[in-house]
Amino acid sequence: MSVAALNKVQMKFKEYKSEVPVVWCPGCGHHGILNGVYRALADAGVDPTKLMSISGIGCSSRTPYFIQSYKMHTLHGRAGAVATGAQLARPDLAVMVTGGDGDGFSIGGGHMPHMARKNVNMTYVLYDNGIYGLTKGQYSPTSRPEMKAYTTPYGGPEDPMNPLLYMLTYGATYVAQAFAGKPKLCAELIKGALEHRGFSYVNIFSQCPSFNKIDTIQFYRNLVQEIPEDHDTSDLGRAIELSRPESNGGKAPMGLLYKKDKPTLDERMQEIVEKVGGHADYDVNKIIQMSRP
Amino acid sequence: MAKNDLIIRVAGEGGEGIISSGDFIAAACARAGQEVYTFKTFPAEIKGGYAMYQVRTSPDKVVNQGDTFDVFCAFNGEAFEVNKHLFTPGTAVVYDYPGGDFEPDALPEGVHGYPIPMSQTAKDLKSYRSKNMVALGALSVLFNIPEETLKQVLSDKFGKKGKEILDLNLQAFSKGKELAQAMEKTDSFKLADPKDPKDVIIISGNDAAGLGGIIGGISFFSAYPLTPSTEVAKYVSIHLPKLGGTLVQAEDEIAAVSQLMGASYAGAKVMTSTSGPGLSLMAEMLGMASMAEIPVVIVDVQRGGPSTGLPTKHEQSDLFLAIHGTHGDAPRIVLSVEDVKDCVDMTVEALNLAEKYQNPVILLSDGSLAFSTQTIPTPDPSSYEIINRKRWDGEGEYLRYKLTDDNISPMADPGTENAMHIATGLEHGENGAPKWTPDNHELMHRKRFNKIKPVVEEYTPVEVDGDGDADVGVITWGSTIGVVREAVARLRADGHKVKGFYPKLMWPMPVDQYEEFAKTCKKILVPEVNFQGQLSHFIRSETSIQPIPYTICGGLPFTPAMVVDKVKEVI
Ligand SMILES: Cc1ncc(C[n+]2csc(CCOP(=O)(O)OP(=O)(O)O)c2C)c(N)n1
Ligand code: SF4
Repeated sequence: MSVAALNKVQMKFKEYKSEVPVVWCPGCGHHGILNGVYRALADAGVDPTKLMSISGIGCSSRTPYFIQSYKMHTLHGRAGAVATGAQLARPDLAVMVTGGDGDGFSIGGGHMPHMARKNVNMTYVLYDNGIYGLTKGQYSPTSRPEMKAYTTPYGGPEDPMNPLLYMLTYGATYVAQAFAGKPKLCAELIKGALEHRGFSYVNIFSQCPSFNKIDTIQFYRNLVQEIPEDHDTSDLGRAIELSRPESNGGKAPMGLLYKKDKPTLDERMQEIVEKVGGHADYDVNKIIQMSRP
Repeated sequence: MAKNDLIIRVAGEGGEGIISSGDFIAAACARAGQEVYTFKTFPAEIKGGYAMYQVRTSPDKVVNQGDTFDVFCAFNGEAFEVNKHLFTPGTAVVYDYPGGDFEPDALPEGVHGYPIPMSQTAKDLKSYRSKNMVALGALSVLFNIPEETLKQVLSDKFGKKGKEILDLNLQAFSKGKELAQAMEKTDSFKLADPKDPKDVIIISGNDAAGLGGIIGGISFFSAYPLTPSTEVAKYVSIHLPKLGGTLVQAEDEIAAVSQLMGASYAGAKVMTSTSGPGLSLMAEMLGMASMAEIPVVIVDVQRGGPSTGLPTKHEQSDLFLAIHGTHGDAPRIVLSVEDVKDCVDMTVEALNLAEKYQNPVILLSDGSLAFSTQTIPTPDPSSYEIINRKRWDGEGEYLRYKLTDDNISPMADPGTENAMHIATGLEHGENGAPKWTPDNHELMHRKRFNKIKPVVEEYTPVEVDGDGDADVGVITWGSTIGVVREAVARLRADGHKVKGFYPKLMWPMPVDQYEEFAKTCKKILVPEVNFQGQLSHFIRSETSIQPIPYTICGGLPFTPAMVVDKVKEVI
């Protein structure tokens, strides 16, 4: 979403914290991401009154409680669809979704392609910990098969999905990745996402020390590799290549992979309204007259 | 004596112009000052298959599709076969012969046959598609459908497609007329003589629900296609953008209702339309709408279920789902519609109630009304009261779920200074923060349930038809009301002591009114089009009445005669 059009405010990042105490386990990667979110909001000068933060269900989906803003804590998997409605009804405000990999790609997986392809003007921050945290450790769509979890005591039978690859092919117009151990980079990428007009997606690896015993902070530290400085963020083919650890010596990219300018859904709807509407004499009475026998 | 309450059924293969013929007849009758109630069935297939369109028309108000038809026009052999068991002495049958695809058997005693070579005539004109115009020409002569009016309707329709097409169709129409003029009229059916047209519109139930949404002030609509509800979305999609509103085709019903939630929270007045399978998908979010007290309106155009069931057929079987379909204890307001006029009025009402009580409202329409076009008095938008949600006045500390005398807490649109808050599906205290103490959950449940209690006092569109004591009281809902109205009138005219009771507020149930009515009746009969007797179930569980259920579920509505017979049986 672009917050550029909003009333800019100057607030310290601490001032974006709400009074609600953060409830995550010690050592949970979500703490680092939240810090990145605060910093991004402060750096982008977002007016809390003009922000709607929306989430589904999961540990990560608690985020809106901790932020100063208008907010909705909705249902498991539905944050994106709720946010779409909120954004379309109020294109003058900013919308940010925060949620988990289970929330976004399992139960909510049906909505993801459509937010991306429709270029809904919002920012989606996905806390990717390869596990269902809140329900105490079942495998998620991004879990590796090696992981023995609550419901996979012998290891998993499925390969993980690659969120970046999905979002790039679904048509997201801003795709970035970071990891919770780098709150500064998280902040930078989220700020970029907030300032982008269109559907911006930031995937952030987040360790869950309570339940995901294999994707530790150390594991992620070794996994990620910064995107080369000279990467052309308008090159979708290259972004897709980078997004695949298989073609990058097993490394996951960190940074901004792709960015494109494209009219947003609300802009295109506004165009239609302007094309067909705006006739002063078009009103309910006129509509009724059309049903004369 | 000529019979002026006339029912004309045309049937044939989908694609033969059955639907347009019906529309033309209906429009011509309305222009000639008659009341119209139409009824259609068509196959689930896209092309071909048996299609039927019935027009009931009368100088007086018509409130249902009727018992059966008086005049039948068969476009092909299949249509003839499907309907011939309904012919009775006196029925007038116009059929495609010779040159059609069938040789009818001898017509039963007393049936008036008018063989018209529709296919052949159209072929001779080298315009097979104008077969229905030949039929219309014949019908207009035989049954006094005013020719000039019909021609006007045709010109309005075909004029847009160019003079050539219009001329061809008018030619076919004239041929049909000539063929019929050459015949001797032997039956007694005749449309009443034209009068000045009334101040009416002719509109289908689905379009009317869309219109109701627009009159009610929606600014956001999102839906996913599902027969028989799709035309509601179609109607809104034509008009809402022109009025500056936002329309989305969602990826599924879960997304549709979720989008409504986001948009409504953000300050918009919102509505969606669906049918049973879609309403099932929305159930989880409806729980949240109750919990987070967010106004949303769902128009559920019921069809035969469960599962994909009878996708194009009529049924009234979503009452259980509408009233209780979600997890936990969730207050719900459910309304139903009797006819097309209600589709406008009750949709406005649904929006008003949703906004006033900050609660989800489900409006139950049904497959029969979805496509039924009826003449209704031209709505005057300025005559409707439009209610908007109570908004925060900016005084004091803002608490989203503030406990107030009427249990309604003011809302604050995002962007409002000093009113930041959270809308949540978790149990919460007055400020929205999660609060799971036993006392609080009870307190908040009480707030949410008490909040909608006044609906039964302030808003009880229940009508009692008939007075005094009765041997049988008939309680029914939805489009069956129109059928029962006529049955009650016939029974009373025959000297039977019968009354009707027609609730449109299905939930919360106006229990006192049910009981008061039942006190004046020896027996209560409840006809409804579902297998389990869903309204009977609620009457049994919520009131002290022991109703006699009368259910059918063959995919078709009741006829007045069925109800008359049943009442006589239980008297
Ligand atoms: C309809 C529904 N199904 C299941 C759940 C239970 N549930 C709550 S959170 C969750 C998974 C959360 O995992 P994720 O989205 O990855 O977030 P995390 O907790 O790991 O941050 C599940 C399955 C639910 N709340 N609703
Ligand atoms: S369970 Fe995992 S994801 Fe949830 S708070 Fe604890 S560490 Fe974080």
